[in-house]
Amino acid sequence: MRPTGIWHASYATEARVLETVRSRLWLSLFGAVLLGLPLMASPWMLGELTNLFITLIAVCGLYVTVGMAGQINIAQSAFVGVGAFTAAKLSNMGAPVWAVIPAAALITGAVSVLFALPAARVKGFYLALTTLAAQVMFPIVILALPMSWLGGLVGMPVMPPVLFGLNLGTPSGLYFLGLAFAALAVWTTYNLPRSRIGRAFRTVHDNDSAAGVMGIPVTRIKIEAFFAGALYAGVAGAILAYMLQFVTVSSFTLFASVWYLGMLIVGGLHSPLGPILGVVFVTLVQEGLHTAGNAILQSGSGLGGGAVFAASSLVLGLCILAALIFEPRGLAHIWHQLMTAFRLWPFPRN
Amino acid sequence: MAAPGGAIMEARALGLRFGAVEALKDVSIRIEAGSVHALIGPNGAGKSSLLNCLSGFYHPWTGAVLFEGRDISATRPPERARLGIARTFQGIQTYPSMTARENILTGFHAQMKGGVFSGLFRPRSAIRQEEEFATRAEEIIDFLELEQDRHRTVGDMSYGLRKRVDLGRALALAPKILVMDEPMAGMSPEEKGDLARFILDIRDHFGIPVVLVEHDMDVVMDISDRVSVLEFGHVIAEGTPTEVRSDARVIAAYLGGAPEAEAAA
Repeated sequence: MRPTGIWHASYATEARVLETVRSRLWLSLFGAVLLGLPLMASPWMLGELTNLFITLIAVCGLYVTVGMAGQINIAQSAFVGVGAFTAAKLSNMGAPVWAVIPAAALITGAVSVLFALPAARVKGFYLALTTLAAQVMFPIVILALPMSWLGGLVGMPVMPPVLFGLNLGTPSGLYFLGLAFAALAVWTTYNLPRSRIGRAFRTVHDNDSAAGVMGIPVTRIKIEAFFAGALYAGVAGAILAYMLQFVTVSSFTLFASVWYLGMLIVGGLHSPLGPILGVVFVTLVQEGLHTAGNAILQSGSGLGGGAVFAASSLVLGLCILAALIFEPRGLAHIWHQLMTAFRLWPFPRN
Repeated sequence: MAAPGGAIMEARALGLRFGAVEALKDVSIRIEAGSVHALIGPNGAGKSSLLNCLSGFYHPWTGAVLFEGRDISATRPPERARLGIARTFQGIQTYPSMTARENILTGFHAQMKGGVFSGLFRPRSAIRQEEEFATRAEEIIDFLELEQDRHRTVGDMSYGLRKRVDLGRALALAPKILVMDEPMAGMSPEEKGDLARFILDIRDHFGIPVVLVEHDMDVVMDISDRVSVLEFGHVIAEGTPTEVRSDARVIAAYLGGAPEAEAAA
């Protein structure tokens, strides 16, 4: 449902995401709040938000691979890891931040192509297992490489990001770095469905046998979908590396990959809004649980940290289940329905 | 560079086997430029096998498929699509999560430019290209009278409309020939009438020849310029609808064999 009173004189304006002056105004206001936040928020809060931005970038990539192209990927965390280790290595070699992040994206993309090659042959469960193999192989490979390459079991320190003589390694610096790239991730995620390659991704998702006959090179498109999704993972990994200041293989687990997928499912697989809503919602739930968990731990009820950790996983599981049962199209669909109802009011929907 | 005699596409002595079943035996047909050519015959006669050989799904064991005088027997469907052979499918093979216009736009894939980075960063050249192809998609939407449904998700559309989107996507390939597999199956009489009109318009306005497999004899006899009749993997008759209708072998082997078909003829 489009807003009323908006008429387009060209196909270019019709393709705009923000159609009304009001929506552009709201977004500018929201952007201004995000830019001004470091003035008020505590370093802890900024750290949490930076983490959220990093997760959002990774989940945007997952939306491209899984949501748009329908190629299941449960190795996004390993791809984030590839980005993080690339960034660590390059920063140690003295590369500046403006070179490190694009390089991490491209190298992660290249690594993902290696694992995307089987995607040309296998589908569904089998593809899920293939990407699982990528996730499992990631720490094995890092540990097997010589210590001097990627630090092996110990891990690797990361040099702080310096841009134009400005150290971005502070909480607010990292916050702005995360914000800038999260904005870029969201912008590109909204661009993709309106492009030739984005439509090709979706044809592969919807009906790959028909796509092949209609002149779309399906194998190539599937590999490009992995590549595009891994670019995001590489960026997320690089920023995460700067934030952690030290990378080890144990930070990039299968568990995190499942969380990324869970966020995407809760938010909605089929709208670029899905990653945003999913990441924000699940992060809020997680933080709520952590706060509650800390309160329980300090109350001396005898519940250990293990129980609290288990509870947060349980709640994520329930969120995914609830999303799958009640709204498989995710929070994004609920949002679109609310918008439609709002625009039609006082007339009922349907 | 059409083959002599104005044939745009030709099957020469095709043979195809599935295990013990000989689907096609020495089948030769010629599709003339600017014609609607129907393939008819009882179930299992080999119509779909022949159609699939033309569109590249099956590769004949013997014989050759010629397109514009070139042997294309070994090429696969995506390559044939690029050569200019577009097909529509039996049943529904559209992209259900995309809108009608997006479905049609996917047909332009090979004619458009831009990979992952152009898609991500949407440079000005990409926006201009989108505009250009949206205009072309609208021409097809206009032709197929899909204006009301251009932004509707195809998965929510009626069967007849989805078939029209399928046809629009095939037209976006800017084909030199259109291959249609049972385009009328499952349609209401009104939808059949609309589609018959579109097929004739495709021949007359776009100058695109159409090959189709169809069971509805009324439609076949009304819109076809040429009809090939297959039975047990052989072509038993070929000619104009009038010629075929009065062919003794056709009446005996096909129309005479099925009472409802006889009534239709």
